[in-house]
Amino acid sequence: MEPAFKFLIEEEKVFSGGLSCRGCGWALLVRHLSSILGENTVYVVPASCFSIIAGPYPLNELKGSVVHTVFAAAPATATGIRHALDKQGKRDTNVVVLAGDGGTFDIGFQSLSGAASRGENILYVCNNNGAYMNTGIQTSTATPYGAVTTTNPNPEYKKTWPKDLMGIVAAHNIPYAATCSLAFIEDYRMKIKRAKEIEGFRLLLIDGPCPPGHKTEPSQSIAITRLAVETKLFPLFEVEHLKYRINYFPKEKLPVEKCLKKQGRFKHLFNGSDNGRALKDIQEHVESYWNRLLKLEQLSHE
Amino acid sequence: MNNTLNETIEKEKTQKGFARHTQKILKGNYAAAEAAKLCRVGFVPAYPITPQTTIVEELSRMVANKELDAHYVNMDSEHSVFAAAMGAALAGERVFTATSGQGLFYAHEVLHAIAHFRLPIVICNVGRPSIPWNIWSDQTDSLAQRDTGWVQFYGESSQEVLDTVIQAYIIAERLNLPVMVVLDAFYQSHTSENVWAPEQDLVDEFLPPKKFTGSEIDGINPKAVGGLVPPEHYETFNYRYWTDVNQVEDLTNEVGENFGKSFGRKYSAIETVNITDKTKIVFVTISSITSTVRGVLNKHPEIGLLKLRLVKPFPKASVIKALSVLPPDASIVAVERNFLGDSEGALIQEMKRALYGELNFKMFDVYAGLGGKDVPPLTIEKIIYKVKEDAEKIIWIDLE
Repeated sequence: MEPAFKFLIEEEKVFSGGLSCRGCGWALLVRHLSSILGENTVYVVPASCFSIIAGPYPLNELKGSVVHTVFAAAPATATGIRHALDKQGKRDTNVVVLAGDGGTFDIGFQSLSGAASRGENILYVCNNNGAYMNTGIQTSTATPYGAVTTTNPNPEYKKTWPKDLMGIVAAHNIPYAATCSLAFIEDYRMKIKRAKEIEGFRLLLIDGPCPPGHKTEPSQSIAITRLAVETKLFPLFEVEHLKYRINYFPKEKLPVEKCLKKQGRFKHLFNGSDNGRALKDIQEHVESYWNRLLKLEQLSHE
Repeated sequence: MNNTLNETIEKEKTQKGFARHTQKILKGNYAAAEAAKLCRVGFVPAYPITPQTTIVEELSRMVANKELDAHYVNMDSEHSVFAAAMGAALAGERVFTATSGQGLFYAHEVLHAIAHFRLPIVICNVGRPSIPWNIWSDQTDSLAQRDTGWVQFYGESSQEVLDTVIQAYIIAERLNLPVMVVLDAFYQSHTSENVWAPEQDLVDEFLPPKKFTGSEIDGINPKAVGGLVPPEHYETFNYRYWTDVNQVEDLTNEVGENFGKSFGRKYSAIETVNITDKTKIVFVTISSITSTVRGVLNKHPEIGLLKLRLVKPFPKASVIKALSVLPPDASIVAVERNFLGDSEGALIQEMKRALYGELNFKMFDVYAGLGGKDVPPLTIEKIIYKVKEDAEKIIWIDLE
C-alpha cells in the first residue's frame, strides 16, 4: 500500500542529538541540506553556533566530514580542501561552508569575497540569525535595524541598516545565489538542488530563527520566519550571473509590525517612545528594497 | 660539525661540484622556488609581499609552464593563504607557500592552527620587521613566531635554503609538524649566488611522494577535525605535540647526515667553527651574518663561531655539547637582527635558557643590523673589542 504522504527527507544524513537550542534554524537547515547533498560532502565550519551543534571533540553530528576552522577564513580553508580534492581526482565531493552571519558579513567577509571572485567550486551556506548568537547576542552587520542586542541595548538599539549581502555577493557575478526560508521548505529544497547542480561559487542565505536571540517562543520559529517572507522583510529570490528572479510574491500586503511584534528584540519599537518612527522607517526600507528587486528582475528579462 | 679554520678554507677551495647536480646562478628567492618545485608540491596558495614576492611569482610561472604539477591560487591575504594551506594539507596535499614580515604577522592565528592541527606544511619566510615600516633584512617577524609551534631553520646561503626546504619536508612529514625556512631579505632573497641544483630524480629518491595515512579529510571516510576540545582532553594534545617536537633536533641531524650521503652536502642542527679549549669569544649567529663572521675569523684566531641552523625547537643538546670544550673564561656573544621589545634579543634568551645549570659563561648580546642595516666585517671586529672591554652586557653597535 502506498503511504498517504512521502517524507521530504527520505534518509537522514544527520545523527540525532544535535546540540542546537529548541527552535533553532540550524537543525532543520542542515537536515534538508545534507539529505540532498549526500554523504560525499566536506563541511567547513568557522566559529558559529554550528561549531557546537556539529559536535565538540570527538563528536560529529553529520554523515560527512566536518572541518572546524578559524573564524575569518572558512572560504579560504574550503578553497584549500577543494583544490586538494580536485588534484586527487575527487571532483564529485561537495565542499560546503556552513557559517553564521558574523562569519559571513563581518570577520569572514574578505575571505568570502576572495573565494567568490576566484570562482571557487564551493557551496557557501549562511544561516543569518542577525547577531553573534553563539557568544550571546552581540550586534553584527547583519543585525536588523531596530533590534536590541547585548551590545546595542535599548534605547541604543541598532540604528543602521544591515549589510546587503545578497547585493554584494551577486555583484561578484557568481553562477548562483539565493535566499531561503525554512517556512518555504520546498523552495529551499529546490534551491539546494539547483546549487548542487551548478559548478562554481554558490551561496545560500537562510533566514535563521533563533529563539534566545530574537526573544521568541521556540514553537513560533517557523510561523515568524514565514511572516518575515510575507511582510517582505526577507524576500525569496535567486540571482544567476546578475539575473534576478523573485521566487515568491506575498498575496496580502502585510505590515512589518506583524512579524516584528512577535519578537522580543523589537518590543521597544512598540512602546510609543518614538511615535512609531522606527517602524515607519523599517516599512519604507522594506518597500524600497522590494521595489528595487522588482526592477532588478525586470532588467534581467531585457 | 666542528670545522677548524683551515678545513673551512680548504673546503671552499676544493669544491669542484656535485654529481647529479647542475650549477646555477640563482637569487635566494629563486632557490626557494626551485626547492619547492623539486619537492613536487601539490598546492601553492599565494599572496604578494616584498621581499618574498618573486618566490610565488616564480612558482606561478612554473605552474603556468607545466614545469610543476600543482594548483596555484592567488589568495586574498596571508591569513587566507595559510587557511587555504591548512585546508589542502588536511586533505593530504604537500603544500608550500612563502611570506614575509607583515604577512607572517597577519597569519599568526593560522600559524598556531596549522601547528596544532599537526600539518606538515613547509614555507619560506623572507625576514623583515613590522613598524616602523621597513622592508629590509631583519628576523623579528619569524622570531616573534617562536611560540606558534613551527620548526624554524635559518639558511646562511641560497644553497642552504634550497637544501633545507628538501630536508624540511622529510622532518615535517615524519613528525607532522610545520617547518619555516627563513632567509634574509635582499642580502639573500635578491642576491645571486652559485647554487648547485640537484636533479629531480635525486630529490625523488630522497623525498618520496607524500604518504596518505588515512586521517586525511575526504568525502568517503567521514571524520571531524578541529572541534571544541574540553579540558579533560586538551593537554593530551599538547603532551603528544611535546613528545614529537622533542625529536626535532635529533631528526634534523639524522636527515642532514642522510642528505649529505645523497647530495654531498652534510647538515646538522648547528655548525661550529674554531670552538676549542683556546677560544676566547664565541659568536652566535643565524643566516647571512654568519658568513661575515666566518670572514673575520681568519684575522682573529681567538674567535669561534656557533651558527644556529635549527632555531626552534632550540637545539639545546648540540649547543651544550659544542660549547663544553670551551675554557671557563670564554665569552658568548649573540648577534641579534631582531628586536622583540625586551632588553635582550631572541638568540641570547634561547642561549641562556639552554645553558642554564649546564655551562656558565659570560654572555653578551649585540643588536646589529636591525631593519636591514649592513653588518660589515668592521662591525664584527668592533663587537670583538666591545666584548673584550667588558663594559656593557647589552650592546647597540653602530647606533646612529
